[in-house]
Amino acid sequence: MKEHILQLENLSHVYSQGTPFELTAVKDINITIDKGEVIGIIGHTGSGKSTLIQHMNGLIKPTSGRVLLEGEDIFSSKEATKRVRSRVGLVFQYPEYQLFEETVYRDIAFGPKNLKLSEKQIDERVRYAARFVGISEELFEKSPFDLSGGQKRRVAIAGVIAMMPDVLVLDEPMAGLDPAGCRDIMNNLMSYHDETGSALIIVTHSMETAGEFAKRMIVMNRGTVAMDGTPEEIFSRGRELRQMGLNVPTMTMLKDALSERGIELPGTIYTVEQMKKALEERMGGGSRA
Amino acid sequence: MAAVLKDITLGQYFPGNTVVHRLDPRTKIIMVVFYIISLFSAKTYVSYCFMAIVLFTVIKLSKIPGKTLIKSVKPLVIFIGITGVLNMFYTPGQELLRFWIFKITKEGIIKGILMVSRIIMLVMGTFMLTYTTSPIMLTDGLESLLAPLKVIKVPVHELTMIMSIALRFVPTLIEETEKIMNAQKARGAEFDTGGLIAKAKALLPVLVPLFISAFRRADELAVAMESRCYHGGEGRTKLKRLKLMARDYGALCCGVLVMTTIFVLRSRGL
Repeated sequence: MKEHILQLENLSHVYSQGTPFELTAVKDINITIDKGEVIGIIGHTGSGKSTLIQHMNGLIKPTSGRVLLEGEDIFSSKEATKRVRSRVGLVFQYPEYQLFEETVYRDIAFGPKNLKLSEKQIDERVRYAARFVGISEELFEKSPFDLSGGQKRRVAIAGVIAMMPDVLVLDEPMAGLDPAGCRDIMNNLMSYHDETGSALIIVTHSMETAGEFAKRMIVMNRGTVAMDGTPEEIFSRGRELRQMGLNVPTMTMLKDALSERGIELPGTIYTVEQMKKALEERMGGGSRA
Repeated sequence: MAAVLKDITLGQYFPGNTVVHRLDPRTKIIMVVFYIISLFSAKTYVSYCFMAIVLFTVIKLSKIPGKTLIKSVKPLVIFIGITGVLNMFYTPGQELLRFWIFKITKEGIIKGILMVSRIIMLVMGTFMLTYTTSPIMLTDGLESLLAPLKVIKVPVHELTMIMSIALRFVPTLIEETEKIMNAQKARGAEFDTGGLIAKAKALLPVLVPLFISAFRRADELAVAMESRCYHGGEGRTKLKRLKLMARDYGALCCGVLVMTTIFVLRSRGL
């Protein structure tokens, strides 16, 4: 039996209500997130992804609808809203731009300090979080502004991990990084998930990443949830994805291209591994006969 | 807080395609000067009513919603209120009411009302300029109008360029501030609790990244401008050249007419 940790109920948000600039960013969203889930949120620019995730830790209040953390409305009281900030960690896009402290250590410690933990606990958490993102302790006394782009990003993510959230939400954590950097960060995040059992929600435009790591994908389109299911289910609806201006993973495209030329491969394919297996099976059985 | 920042409508441009929008920015700037002179030359309620009609006509022509205009005056309510009250008390004349050392006179009430309407009309009138003119057009117009000052070595082009860049980056920086505040809030920062010192201290995690990003943007902008061979105003041409049309001359004539009317009214003691 899975336990729900976060529920969004009939959530809608309208910006600048009652002015000529009124804009409905998300409408009628219903999402239930279980403990320890890994979810990829995909959507075109302006599909409401960022608005959606900012509801998850109470940064914006829904115009209508509710956000429940373990069954409790996070806007029911000021304390509840405060509590959700430490339970649901949110890493914004380009988080390195929010670094401000004199040293890496103190920047990572900012979150735990706001939680009013003891010096010892803060120290533990800083070391713990730094280990997860691969920041060695030699860097602790350096200024975060002297680090490389990738390292800055890690420090910023560590700043949120140090709050030890039960749900970690990241908005495009790989934007602007090279492929090796992307892989490292994804592996770091997955090991945080594996070790702590916390839920991981990653907003990305990379179908490959989402398909590879997420067990569940949510596709946003024009402020609504267009699809919600396993990567297999999502990628089997390639035509709809393209209509929303989204792409399917390269391997799925390859499969479709092959099928146009009369080479049918079974099942849904979205990773190189799956493609390799399917091709080997086909070549091993079909072509020699 | 985020919502508050977004609601600042100080001099926001409202795109449109009305006669007022299409007027040359120079015409509009000169018209505002005429308008201000007329407004300050108005003496009695007759002239004020006339100016109100002029303002109302321009508002109607520009199709700017009245709600927005009223909102633009809102931040000045206290200032306007104080002006009104002071005028009410400190104008000598026929006494209507007296308590302690204060006395309200009939002349005071009239003067107070006129002063309040003068300020409101002044604010609304000048806002009409920024509501109907895009910042770029506005600075282009200023640059062209101030061009004669180049003779006495005033760096007109540089000053207007600074102005347009500053105007351009106000919304960007507001957006940036909101983003950083949200990011720090996500790490448990609080901006609205504690005393004054606690609040000031809480702003540090916002100000440091904001300054860094402002400098970064300035750097990037400088590089972008240089790589487009920007080297000041010398010999620089414009994509949209300002050209006075028939409607501009018409508008200027109307402006002169309004001013003359006010002067005539004034000379008659109205």
